[in-house]
Amino acid sequence: MALLQSPHWPVLIDVYFFLGGLAGGAFVIATIANLLDARRFRDVSRAGYYLALVALIPCPIILIVDLGVPVRFMNMMRTFNLLSPMSMGAWALLGFSACAFLAALITLLEDAGRGRNLGRAKTAVGVVGAFFGFFLAAYPGVLLSATAQPLWAGGHALGALFLAVGASTGAAAVALVLLLVGRRAADGMTPLRTMLVLALVIQLVAVAVFVLTVQGSDSVASAHALTTLTSGAYSLTFWLGAIVVGSVLPLLIGLADFKRRSPGLTALAAVLVLVGGFLVKYVIVAAGQA
Amino acid sequence: MARTLAMFTDTSLCIGCRACQVACKQWNELDMEVPDWTGSYQNHTHFTDKTFRLVRFIEEPGGKPNGELAWLLMSDVCKHCADAGCLNACPTGAIYRTEHGTVNINQDVCNGCRYCVSACPFGVVSFNEQTGTAKKCTFCNDRIHNGLGPACAKACPTESIQFGFRDELVGRAQKRVEVLKSLGFKEAQLYGADSNGFLGGLNAFFLLLAKPATYGLPDNPRLPQKNVLVESVLSIGSALLVGLGALVAFRQRRGGGEE
Repeated sequence: MALLQSPHWPVLIDVYFFLGGLAGGAFVIATIANLLDARRFRDVSRAGYYLALVALIPCPIILIVDLGVPVRFMNMMRTFNLLSPMSMGAWALLGFSACAFLAALITLLEDAGRGRNLGRAKTAVGVVGAFFGFFLAAYPGVLLSATAQPLWAGGHALGALFLAVGASTGAAAVALVLLLVGRRAADGMTPLRTMLVLALVIQLVAVAVFVLTVQGSDSVASAHALTTLTSGAYSLTFWLGAIVVGSVLPLLIGLADFKRRSPGLTALAAVLVLVGGFLVKYVIVAAGQA
Repeated sequence: MARTLAMFTDTSLCIGCRACQVACKQWNELDMEVPDWTGSYQNHTHFTDKTFRLVRFIEEPGGKPNGELAWLLMSDVCKHCADAGCLNACPTGAIYRTEHGTVNINQDVCNGCRYCVSACPFGVVSFNEQTGTAKKCTFCNDRIHNGLGPACAKACPTESIQFGFRDELVGRAQKRVEVLKSLGFKEAQLYGADSNGFLGGLNAFFLLLAKPATYGLPDNPRLPQKNVLVESVLSIGSALLVGLGALVAFRQRRGGGEE
Protein backbone atom coordinates (compact mmCIF):
# COMPACT_ATOMS: atom_id res chain seq x y z
CA MET A 1 0.00 0.00 0.00
CA ALA A 2 2.03 2.84 -1.26
CA LEU A 3 0.69 6.13 0.00
CA LEU A 4 0.50 8.30 -3.08
CA GLN A 5 -1.43 11.46 -3.76
CA SER A 6 -3.50 12.14 -6.85
CA PRO A 7 -3.23 15.45 -8.69
CA HIS A 8 -7.05 15.43 -9.06
CA TRP A 9 -6.99 16.75 -12.61
CA PRO A 10 -10.61 17.34 -13.63
CA VAL A 11 -12.36 16.18 -16.83
CA LEU A 12 -11.55 19.57 -18.34
CA ILE A 13 -7.93 18.40 -18.62
CA ASP A 14 -9.11 15.37 -20.63
CA VAL A 15 -10.95 17.80 -22.90
CA TYR A 16 -7.66 19.65 -23.38
CA PHE A 17 -5.79 16.40 -24.11
CA PHE A 18 -8.49 15.57 -26.68
CA LEU A 19 -8.58 18.99 -28.37
CA GLY A 20 -4.79 19.40 -28.37
CA GLY A 21 -4.35 15.98 -29.98
CA LEU A 22 -7.09 16.67 -32.52
CA ALA A 23 -5.57 20.05 -33.41
CA GLY A 24 -2.11 18.50 -33.80
CA GLY A 25 -3.44 15.62 -35.90
CA ALA A 26 -5.52 17.87 -38.18
CA PHE A 27 -2.53 20.20 -38.67
CA VAL A 28 -0.17 17.34 -39.59
CA ILE A 29 -2.68 15.97 -42.13
CA ALA A 30 -3.22 19.43 -43.61
CA THR A 31 0.53 19.92 -43.96
CA ILE A 32 1.10 16.57 -45.68
CA ALA A 33 -1.83 17.15 -48.04
CA ASN A 34 -0.50 20.62 -48.82
CA LEU A 35 3.05 19.32 -49.37
CA LEU A 36 2.07 16.56 -51.78
CA ASP A 37 -0.38 18.46 -53.94
CA ALA A 38 -1.44 21.87 -52.71
CA ARG A 39 -3.98 22.35 -55.49
CA ARG A 40 -5.72 18.98 -55.51
CA PHE A 41 -5.87 18.58 -51.76
CA ARG A 42 -6.73 22.20 -51.10
CA ASP A 43 -10.02 21.21 -49.44
CA VAL A 44 -8.19 18.95 -46.98
CA SER A 45 -5.49 21.46 -46.07
CA ARG A 46 -8.04 24.27 -45.72
CA ALA A 47 -10.26 22.22 -43.44
CA GLY A 48 -7.24 20.96 -41.48
CA TYR A 49 -5.65 24.34 -40.85
CA TYR A 50 -8.90 26.05 -39.90
CA LEU A 51 -9.87 23.15 -37.69
CA ALA A 52 -6.48 23.11 -35.95
CA LEU A 53 -6.88 26.75 -34.94
CA VAL A 54 -10.50 26.34 -33.83
CA ALA A 55 -9.68 23.26 -31.74
CA LEU A 56 -6.63 24.97 -30.29
CA ILE A 57 -8.27 28.17 -29.06
CA PRO A 58 -9.94 26.62 -25.96
CA CYS A 59 -6.72 24.79 -24.98
CA PRO A 60 -4.73 27.53 -23.23
CA ILE A 61 -7.93 28.80 -21.62
CA ILE A 62 -8.67 25.36 -20.14
CA LEU A 63 -5.11 25.01 -18.85
CA ILE A 64 -5.04 28.47 -17.30
CA VAL A 65 -8.43 28.09 -15.63
CA ASP A 66 -7.32 24.80 -14.10
CA LEU A 67 -4.26 26.32 -12.38
CA GLY A 68 -4.38 26.95 -8.64
CA VAL A 69 -3.24 30.52 -9.30
CA PRO A 70 -4.35 31.29 -12.89
CA VAL A 71 -2.71 34.74 -13.01
CA ARG A 72 0.68 33.02 -12.70
CA PHE A 73 0.26 31.05 -15.95
CA MET A 74 3.23 32.88 -17.46
CA ASN A 75 5.47 31.23 -14.85
CA MET A 76 5.38 28.20 -17.17
CA MET A 77 7.73 30.22 -19.40
CA ARG A 78 10.33 30.72 -16.64
CA THR A 79 12.08 27.40 -17.32
CA PHE A 80 12.90 25.09 -20.18
CA ASN A 81 13.01 21.74 -18.41
CA LEU A 82 13.74 18.83 -20.75
CA LEU A 83 12.90 16.31 -18.02
CA SER A 84 9.46 17.77 -17.37
CA PRO A 85 6.93 16.94 -20.10
CA MET A 86 4.67 19.64 -18.68
CA SER A 87 7.36 22.28 -19.19
CA MET A 88 8.08 21.03 -22.72
CA GLY A 89 4.35 20.81 -23.42
CA ALA A 90 3.85 24.44 -22.43
CA TRP A 91 6.54 25.47 -24.91
CA ALA A 92 5.12 23.18 -27.62
CA LEU A 93 1.67 24.70 -27.08
CA LEU A 94 3.18 28.16 -27.55
CA GLY A 95 5.03 27.13 -30.71
CA PHE A 96 2.05 25.30 -32.12
CA SER A 97 -0.26 28.24 -31.41
CA ALA A 98 1.97 30.53 -33.46
CA CYS A 99 2.06 28.07 -36.38
CA ALA A 100 -1.66 27.28 -36.24
CA PHE A 101 -2.47 31.00 -36.25
CA LEU A 102 -0.14 31.72 -39.19
CA ALA A 103 -1.31 28.70 -41.22
CA ALA A 104 -4.97 29.65 -40.75
CA LEU A 105 -4.16 33.27 -41.60
CA ILE A 106 -2.38 32.30 -44.84
CA THR A 107 -5.28 30.01 -45.75
CA LEU A 108 -7.69 32.86 -45.12
CA LEU A 109 -5.64 35.21 -47.31
CA GLU A 110 -5.64 32.59 -50.07
CA ASP A 111 -9.40 32.24 -49.74
CA ALA A 112 -9.66 35.98 -50.17
CA GLY A 113 -7.55 35.76 -53.30
CA ARG A 114 -4.53 37.52 -51.78
CA GLY A 115 -2.25 34.58 -51.16
CA ARG A 116 -0.40 34.45 -54.42
CA ASN A 117 3.12 34.69 -53.02
CA LEU A 118 2.49 32.87 -49.77
CA GLY A 119 3.00 29.28 -50.97
CA ARG A 120 6.52 28.97 -49.54
CA ALA A 121 5.61 30.63 -46.26
CA LYS A 122 2.68 28.24 -45.95
CA THR A 123 4.94 25.23 -46.53
CA ALA A 124 7.48 26.45 -43.96
CA VAL A 125 4.83 27.21 -41.33
CA GLY A 126 3.19 23.87 -42.09
CA VAL A 127 6.38 21.82 -41.66
CA VAL A 128 7.46 23.56 -38.43
CA GLY A 129 3.91 23.40 -37.09
CA ALA A 130 3.62 19.71 -37.93
CA PHE A 131 6.53 18.93 -35.60
CA PHE A 132 4.87 20.95 -32.84
CA GLY A 133 1.57 19.25 -33.71
CA PHE A 134 3.03 15.79 -33.24
CA PHE A 135 4.57 16.93 -29.96
CA LEU A 136 1.30 18.42 -28.74
CA ALA A 137 -0.57 15.20 -29.48
CA ALA A 138 1.98 12.91 -27.83
CA TYR A 139 3.34 14.77 -24.81
CA PRO A 140 0.33 14.29 -22.48
CA GLY A 141 0.96 10.55 -22.63
CA VAL A 142 4.63 11.01 -21.78
CA LEU A 143 3.57 13.42 -19.04
CA LEU A 144 1.38 10.78 -17.43
CA SER A 145 4.18 8.19 -17.67
CA ALA A 146 6.60 10.50 -15.85
CA THR A 147 4.66 10.43 -12.58
CA ALA A 148 4.65 8.17 -9.55
CA GLN A 149 1.10 6.95 -10.26
CA PRO A 150 1.24 3.15 -10.64
CA LEU A 151 -1.11 2.86 -13.63
CA TRP A 152 0.47 5.59 -15.76
CA ALA A 153 4.10 4.88 -14.87
CA GLY A 154 3.70 1.10 -14.89
CA GLY A 155 3.47 0.53 -18.63
CA HIS A 156 4.76 1.73 -21.97
CA ALA A 157 3.45 3.50 -25.06
CA LEU A 158 1.08 6.08 -23.51
CA GLY A 159 2.75 8.81 -25.58
CA ALA A 160 2.53 6.67 -28.72
CA LEU A 161 -1.14 5.99 -27.94
CA PHE A 162 -1.99 9.66 -27.43
CA LEU A 163 -0.24 10.53 -30.70
CA ALA A 164 -2.22 7.89 -32.61
CA VAL A 165 -5.46 9.17 -31.04
CA GLY A 166 -4.49 12.68 -32.16
CA ALA A 167 -4.01 11.40 -35.71
CA SER A 168 -7.26 9.40 -35.78
CA THR A 169 -9.40 12.17 -34.25
CA GLY A 170 -7.69 14.76 -36.46
CA ALA A 171 -8.44 12.74 -39.62
CA ALA A 172 -12.00 12.08 -38.43
CA ALA A 173 -12.65 15.75 -37.71
CA VAL A 174 -11.27 16.88 -41.11
CA ALA A 175 -13.39 14.24 -42.90
CA LEU A 176 -16.50 15.32 -40.98
CA VAL A 177 -15.94 18.98 -41.79
CA LEU A 178 -15.55 18.15 -45.50
CA LEU A 179 -18.75 16.11 -45.45
CA LEU A 180 -20.65 18.78 -43.56
CA VAL A 181 -19.70 21.53 -46.02
CA GLY A 182 -20.73 19.30 -48.91
CA ARG A 183 -17.27 18.37 -50.22
CA ARG A 184 -18.01 14.65 -50.18
CA ALA A 185 -16.30 14.16 -53.53
CA ALA A 186 -13.17 16.08 -52.51
CA ASP A 187 -9.92 14.55 -53.73
CA GLY A 188 -8.68 14.06 -50.19
CA MET A 189 -11.52 11.86 -48.94
CA THR A 190 -9.94 8.55 -49.88
CA PRO A 191 -6.56 9.33 -48.28
CA LEU A 192 -8.45 10.51 -45.19
CA ARG A 193 -10.23 7.15 -45.00
CA THR A 194 -6.83 5.43 -45.24
CA MET A 195 -5.44 7.68 -42.49
CA LEU A 196 -8.38 6.89 -40.25
CA VAL A 197 -7.85 3.15 -40.57
CA LEU A 198 -4.07 3.39 -40.15
CA ALA A 199 -4.30 5.59 -37.06
CA LEU A 200 -6.92 3.27 -35.51
CA VAL A 201 -4.63 0.28 -36.00
CA ILE A 202 -1.72 2.09 -34.31
CA GLN A 203 -4.10 3.20 -31.57
CA LEU A 204 -5.27 -0.35 -30.87
CA VAL A 205 -1.71 -1.71 -30.91
CA ALA A 206 -0.59 1.04 -28.50
CA VAL A 207 -3.48 0.30 -26.10
CA ALA A 208 -2.58 -3.39 -26.17
CA VAL A 209 1.10 -2.63 -25.51
CA PHE A 210 0.14 -0.35 -22.63
CA VAL A 211 -2.21 -2.83 -20.95
CA LEU A 212 0.14 -5.77 -21.43
CA THR A 213 3.22 -3.93 -20.17
CA VAL A 214 1.39 -2.71 -17.06
CA GLN A 215 0.20 -6.25 -16.47
CA GLY A 216 3.70 -7.63 -16.94
CA SER A 217 5.46 -5.00 -14.81
CA ASP A 218 7.15 -6.18 -11.62
CA SER A 219 5.25 -3.56 -9.62
CA VAL A 220 2.36 -5.02 -7.61
CA ALA A 221 0.83 -1.56 -7.30
CA SER A 222 0.75 -1.16 -11.09
CA ALA A 223 -0.86 -4.54 -11.67
CA HIS A 224 -3.42 -3.68 -9.01
CA ALA A 225 -4.11 -0.24 -10.52
CA LEU A 226 -4.69 -1.85 -13.89
CA THR A 227 -7.72 -3.72 -12.54
CA THR A 228 -9.49 -0.35 -12.08
CA LEU A 229 -9.27 0.01 -15.84
CA THR A 230 -9.81 -3.54 -17.03
CA SER A 231 -12.23 -5.05 -14.51
CA GLY A 232 -13.14 -2.35 -12.01
CA ALA A 233 -15.09 0.90 -11.98
CA TYR A 234 -13.89 2.04 -15.40
CA SER A 235 -13.95 -1.28 -17.21
CA LEU A 236 -17.24 -0.69 -19.04
CA THR A 237 -16.14 2.73 -20.32
CA PHE A 238 -12.80 1.25 -21.31
CA TRP A 239 -13.83 -1.99 -23.03
CA LEU A 240 -17.20 -1.02 -24.45
CA GLY A 241 -16.70 2.72 -24.96
CA ALA A 242 -13.05 3.23 -25.82
CA ILE A 243 -12.19 -0.13 -27.40
CA VAL A 244 -15.29 -1.67 -29.00
CA VAL A 245 -17.42 1.34 -29.98
CA GLY A 246 -14.60 3.87 -30.22
CA SER A 247 -11.88 1.87 -32.00
CA VAL A 248 -12.81 -1.60 -33.30
CA LEU A 249 -16.21 -0.67 -34.72
CA PRO A 250 -14.97 2.39 -36.68
CA LEU A 251 -12.01 0.30 -37.85
CA LEU A 252 -14.37 -2.31 -39.32
CA ILE A 253 -16.58 0.40 -40.82
CA GLY A 254 -13.50 2.10 -42.22
CA LEU A 255 -12.32 -1.12 -43.85
CA ALA A 256 -15.75 -1.69 -45.40
CA ASP A 257 -15.74 1.94 -46.50
CA PHE A 258 -12.60 1.43 -48.63
CA LYS A 259 -14.67 -0.18 -51.37
CA ARG A 260 -18.03 1.45 -50.78
CA ARG A 261 -16.73 5.02 -50.39
CA SER A 262 -20.01 5.96 -48.83
CA PRO A 263 -20.23 9.39 -47.17
CA GLY A 264 -22.66 7.98 -44.63
CA LEU A 265 -20.26 5.26 -43.52
CA THR A 266 -17.33 7.69 -43.39
CA ALA A 267 -19.33 10.09 -41.25
CA LEU A 268 -20.40 7.31 -38.89
CA ALA A 269 -16.84 6.04 -38.52
CA ALA A 270 -15.58 9.60 -37.94
CA VAL A 271 -18.12 10.29 -35.19
CA LEU A 272 -17.26 7.00 -33.46
CA VAL A 273 -13.55 7.80 -33.68
CA LEU A 274 -14.10 11.18 -32.03
CA VAL A 275 -16.12 9.61 -29.22
CA GLY A 276 -13.61 6.77 -28.77
CA GLY A 277 -10.62 9.11 -28.90
CA PHE A 278 -12.01 11.18 -26.07
CA LEU A 279 -13.02 8.14 -24.03
CA VAL A 280 -9.64 6.42 -24.27
CA LYS A 281 -7.88 9.51 -22.92
CA TYR A 282 -10.56 10.18 -20.32
CA VAL A 283 -10.61 6.64 -19.00
CA ILE A 284 -6.83 6.38 -18.65
CA VAL A 285 -6.59 9.71 -16.82
CA ALA A 286 -9.57 8.86 -14.59
CA ALA A 287 -8.51 5.30 -13.76
CA GLY A 288 -4.98 6.49 -12.97
CA GLN A 289 -6.35 8.94 -10.42
CA ALA A 290 -8.88 6.58 -8.87
CA MET B 1 27.43 24.19 -1.94
CA ALA B 2 27.47 24.04 1.79
CA ARG B 3 27.76 20.69 3.50
CA THR B 4 24.53 18.77 3.03
CA LEU B 5 22.18 18.93 5.98
CA ALA B 6 19.93 16.03 6.87
CA MET B 7 17.36 14.71 9.28
CA PHE B 8 17.73 11.20 10.61
CA THR B 9 14.53 9.71 12.01
CA ASP B 10 15.31 6.73 14.23
CA THR B 11 11.93 5.05 14.54
CA SER B 12 13.21 2.71 17.29
CA LEU B 13 13.32 5.72 19.65
CA CYS B 14 9.92 7.17 18.74
CA ILE B 15 7.34 7.09 21.54
CA GLY B 16 4.48 8.50 19.44
CA CYS B 17 4.09 11.72 21.46
CA ARG B 18 3.62 13.77 18.28
CA ALA B 19 5.58 16.73 19.67
CA CYS B 20 7.19 16.92 16.21
CA GLN B 21 3.81 17.13 14.49
CA VAL B 22 2.64 19.88 16.84
CA ALA B 23 5.92 21.81 16.66
CA CYS B 24 5.75 21.67 12.86
CA LYS B 25 2.18 22.98 12.84
CA GLN B 26 3.03 25.80 15.23
CA TRP B 27 6.30 26.97 13.71
CA ASN B 28 4.96 26.87 10.16
CA GLU B 29 1.59 28.34 11.18
CA LEU B 30 -0.35 25.51 9.54
CA ASP B 31 -4.11 25.76 9.95
CA MET B 32 -6.30 23.48 12.00
CA GLU B 33 -7.86 20.50 10.23
CA VAL B 34 -10.80 18.21 10.86
CA PRO B 35 -9.33 15.05 12.43
CA ASP B 36 -9.43 11.70 10.62
CA TRP B 37 -10.67 8.64 12.45
CA THR B 38 -8.07 6.11 11.35
CA GLY B 39 -8.77 3.32 13.83
CA SER B 40 -5.50 4.03 15.64
CA TYR B 41 -3.86 7.03 17.28
CA GLN B 42 -2.64 8.13 13.87
CA ASN B 43 -4.02 11.44 12.68
CA HIS B 44 -4.18 12.19 9.76
CA THR B 45 -4.28 9.18 7.49
CA HIS B 46 -1.79 10.89 5.26
CA PHE B 47 0.22 14.03 4.62
CA THR B 48 -1.97 17.03 3.83
CA ASP B 49 -1.35 20.59 2.76
CA LYS B 50 -1.41 21.44 6.47
CA THR B 51 0.38 18.39 7.93
CA PHE B 52 4.05 18.17 6.98
CA ARG B 53 5.18 15.91 9.86
CA LEU B 54 3.02 12.89 10.47
CA VAL B 55 3.52 10.20 13.11
CA ARG B 56 2.42 6.86 11.73
CA PHE B 57 1.10 4.22 14.19
CA ILE B 58 1.42 0.70 12.82
CA GLU B 59 0.50 -2.57 14.50
CA GLU B 60 2.55 -5.50 13.22
CA PRO B 61 1.65 -8.95 14.58
CA GLY B 62 4.74 -10.93 15.56
CA GLY B 63 7.00 -7.99 14.85
CA LYS B 64 8.85 -7.95 18.18
CA PRO B 65 12.02 -10.05 18.76
CA ASN B 66 10.02 -12.18 21.26
CA GLY B 67 7.24 -12.72 18.73
CA GLU B 68 4.73 -10.37 20.29
CA LEU B 69 2.80 -7.73 18.45
CA ALA B 70 5.04 -4.81 17.55
CA TRP B 71 3.66 -1.32 17.84
CA LEU B 72 5.67 0.51 15.24
CA LEU B 73 5.87 4.28 15.36
CA MET B 74 7.35 6.39 12.63
CA SER B 75 7.52 10.13 12.34
CA ASP B 76 7.25 10.57 8.58
CA VAL B 77 8.23 13.65 6.61
CA CYS B 78 9.28 14.87 3.14
CA LYS B 79 12.41 12.93 2.21
CA HIS B 80 14.19 15.83 0.46
CA CYS B 81 15.43 13.34 -2.17
CA ALA B 82 18.79 13.96 -3.83
CA ASP B 83 17.03 13.13 -7.14
CA ALA B 84 13.62 14.63 -6.49
CA GLY B 85 10.64 13.75 -8.68
CA CYS B 86 8.74 16.90 -7.68
CA LEU B 87 11.68 19.16 -8.48
CA ASN B 88 12.25 17.58 -11.89
CA ALA B 89 8.53 17.72 -12.71
CA CYS B 90 8.03 21.39 -11.81
CA PRO B 91 7.40 23.41 -15.00
CA THR B 92 7.75 26.82 -13.33
CA GLY B 93 11.00 26.43 -11.40
CA ALA B 94 9.09 27.06 -8.17
CA ILE B 95 10.59 23.91 -6.64
CA TYR B 96 14.28 24.40 -5.99
CA ARG B 97 17.19 22.89 -4.10
CA THR B 98 18.75 24.99 -1.38
CA GLU B 99 22.49 25.24 -0.79
CA HIS B 100 21.99 22.81 2.11
CA GLY B 101 20.62 20.10 -0.19
CA THR B 102 17.00 20.43 0.90
CA VAL B 103 14.06 20.75 -1.53
CA ASN B 104 11.71 23.68 -1.16
CA ILE B 105 8.67 25.16 -2.96
CA ASN B 106 8.77 28.89 -3.66
CA GLN B 107 5.21 29.88 -2.77
CA ASP B 108 5.47 33.11 -4.76
CA VAL B 109 6.24 31.26 -8.01
CA CYS B 110 4.13 28.06 -7.81
CA ASN B 111 1.04 28.36 -10.02
CA GLY B 112 -0.72 25.24 -8.79
CA CYS B 113 -0.47 22.90 -11.79
CA ARG B 114 -0.24 19.89 -9.38
CA TYR B 115 2.22 17.96 -11.54
CA CYS B 116 4.59 17.68 -8.54
CA VAL B 117 1.76 16.12 -6.50
CA SER B 118 1.53 13.29 -9.03
CA ALA B 119 5.31 12.93 -9.31
CA CYS B 120 6.23 12.41 -5.65
CA PRO B 121 6.97 8.69 -5.06
CA PHE B 122 6.05 9.15 -1.37
CA GLY B 123 2.84 11.12 -1.75
CA VAL B 124 4.28 14.02 0.23
CA VAL B 125 3.45 17.08 -1.88
CA SER B 126 -0.12 18.29 -1.31
CA PHE B 127 -2.28 20.90 -2.98
CA ASN B 128 -3.66 23.76 -0.89
CA GLU B 129 -7.03 25.01 -2.16
CA GLN B 130 -6.79 28.32 -0.26
CA THR B 131 -3.45 29.46 -1.65
CA GLY B 132 -3.80 27.48 -4.90
CA THR B 133 -0.23 26.23 -4.51
CA ALA B 134 1.60 23.01 -3.67
CA LYS B 135 2.75 22.56 -0.08
CA LYS B 136 5.21 20.33 1.71
CA CYS B 137 7.82 20.28 4.47
CA THR B 138 10.29 23.14 3.98
CA PHE B 139 12.95 21.55 6.23
CA CYS B 140 12.18 24.70 8.24
CA ASN B 141 13.99 26.73 5.64
CA ASP B 142 13.77 29.88 7.73
CA ARG B 143 15.24 28.15 10.78
CA ILE B 144 18.14 26.36 9.09
CA HIS B 145 19.20 29.61 7.45
CA ASN B 146 19.41 31.15 10.90
CA GLY B 147 21.48 28.45 12.55
CA LEU B 148 18.57 26.55 14.08
CA GLY B 149 17.50 22.97 13.46
CA PRO B 150 14.03 22.12 12.12
CA ALA B 151 11.23 22.59 14.65
CA CYS B 152 10.35 18.87 14.68
CA ALA B 153 13.92 17.81 15.55
CA LYS B 154 14.13 20.53 18.20
CA ALA B 155 10.89 19.38 19.84
CA CYS B 156 11.60 15.64 19.79
CA PRO B 157 12.10 14.52 23.44
CA THR B 158 13.78 11.19 22.63
CA GLU B 159 16.19 12.22 19.87
CA SER B 160 14.23 10.03 17.49
CA ILE B 161 14.57 12.94 15.05
CA GLN B 162 18.17 14.07 14.74
CA PHE B 163 19.38 17.01 12.71
CA GLY B 164 22.90 17.59 11.46
CA PHE B 165 25.37 17.13 8.64
CA ARG B 166 24.38 14.22 6.45
CA ASP B 167 27.72 12.35 6.50
CA GLU B 168 27.89 12.45 10.31
CA LEU B 169 24.29 11.32 10.71
CA VAL B 170 24.73 8.38 8.31
CA GLY B 171 27.73 7.15 10.36
CA ARG B 172 25.72 7.41 13.56
CA ALA B 173 22.74 5.66 11.97
CA GLN B 174 24.84 2.71 10.77
CA LYS B 175 26.18 2.14 14.30
CA ARG B 176 22.66 2.27 15.66
CA VAL B 177 21.52 -0.45 13.22
CA GLU B 178 24.31 -2.72 14.47
CA VAL B 179 23.25 -2.17 18.09
CA LEU B 180 19.61 -2.95 17.31
CA LYS B 181 20.50 -6.07 15.36
CA SER B 182 22.56 -7.35 18.29
CA LEU B 183 19.46 -6.79 20.47
CA GLY B 184 17.45 -9.08 18.19
CA PHE B 185 15.72 -6.62 15.86
CA LYS B 186 16.53 -8.64 12.76
CA GLU B 187 14.73 -6.35 10.32
CA ALA B 188 16.40 -3.16 11.58
CA GLN B 189 17.52 -1.27 8.48
CA LEU B 190 18.25 2.16 7.13
CA TYR B 191 15.94 3.63 4.50
CA GLY B 192 17.41 6.16 2.09
CA ALA B 193 20.78 6.56 3.84
CA ASP B 194 22.78 5.21 0.90
CA SER B 195 23.58 8.04 -1.51
CA ASN B 196 24.27 5.43 -4.21
CA GLY B 197 20.86 3.87 -3.59
CA PHE B 198 17.42 4.87 -4.82
CA LEU B 199 16.74 8.54 -5.68
CA GLY B 200 20.38 9.38 -5.00
CA GLY B 201 19.73 9.00 -1.27
CA LEU B 202 17.26 10.83 0.93
CA ASN B 203 18.26 13.89 2.95
CA ALA B 204 15.60 12.91 5.44
CA PHE B 205 16.37 9.23 5.98
CA PHE B 206 15.04 6.67 8.41
CA LEU B 207 15.92 3.74 10.60
CA LEU B 208 13.11 1.20 10.31
CA LEU B 209 12.37 -1.85 12.47
CA ALA B 210 10.48 -3.70 9.73
CA LYS B 211 10.41 -3.90 5.98
CA PRO B 212 9.67 -0.57 4.26
CA ALA B 213 6.32 -1.90 2.96
CA THR B 214 5.14 -2.33 6.57
CA TYR B 215 5.34 1.46 6.92
CA GLY B 216 3.71 2.03 3.53
CA LEU B 217 7.05 3.03 2.00
CA PRO B 218 7.97 1.79 -1.48
CA ASP B 219 10.80 -0.77 -1.46
CA ASN B 220 12.64 0.73 -4.36
CA PRO B 221 11.12 4.06 -5.38
CA ARG B 222 11.93 5.13 -8.91
CA LEU B 223 12.56 8.60 -10.24
CA PRO B 224 9.43 9.24 -12.40
CA GLN B 225 11.45 11.11 -15.02
CA LYS B 226 13.33 7.91 -15.88
CA ASN B 227 10.35 7.11 -18.13
CA VAL B 228 10.69 10.25 -20.24
CA LEU B 229 13.34 8.99 -22.66
CA VAL B 230 11.76 5.61 -23.47
CA GLU B 231 8.26 7.05 -23.84
CA SER B 232 9.57 9.86 -26.05
CA VAL B 233 11.30 7.36 -28.33
CA LEU B 234 8.10 5.27 -28.57
CA SER B 235 6.14 8.44 -29.36
CA ILE B 236 8.58 9.34 -32.12
CA GLY B 237 8.13 5.83 -33.52
CA SER B 238 4.37 6.31 -33.52
CA ALA B 239 4.82 9.73 -35.17
CA LEU B 240 6.98 8.22 -37.92
CA LEU B 241 4.34 5.57 -38.65
CA VAL B 242 1.56 8.17 -38.80
CA GLY B 243 3.65 10.57 -40.89
CA LEU B 244 4.81 7.94 -43.38
CA GLY B 245 1.31 6.48 -43.55
CA ALA B 246 -0.12 9.91 -44.36
CA LEU B 247 2.52 10.46 -47.06
CA VAL B 248 1.65 7.13 -48.67
CA ALA B 249 -2.10 7.72 -48.31
CA PHE B 250 -2.01 11.12 -49.98
CA ARG B 251 0.41 9.93 -52.63
CA GLN B 252 -1.87 7.11 -53.83
CA ARG B 253 -4.33 9.57 -55.26
CA ARG B 254 -1.81 11.39 -57.39
CA GLY B 255 -1.50 8.84 -60.15
CA GLY B 256 -5.02 7.55 -59.74
CA GLY B 257 -6.23 10.48 -61.86
CA GLU B 258 -9.87 11.43 -61.95
CA GLU B 259 -8.97 14.81 -63.34
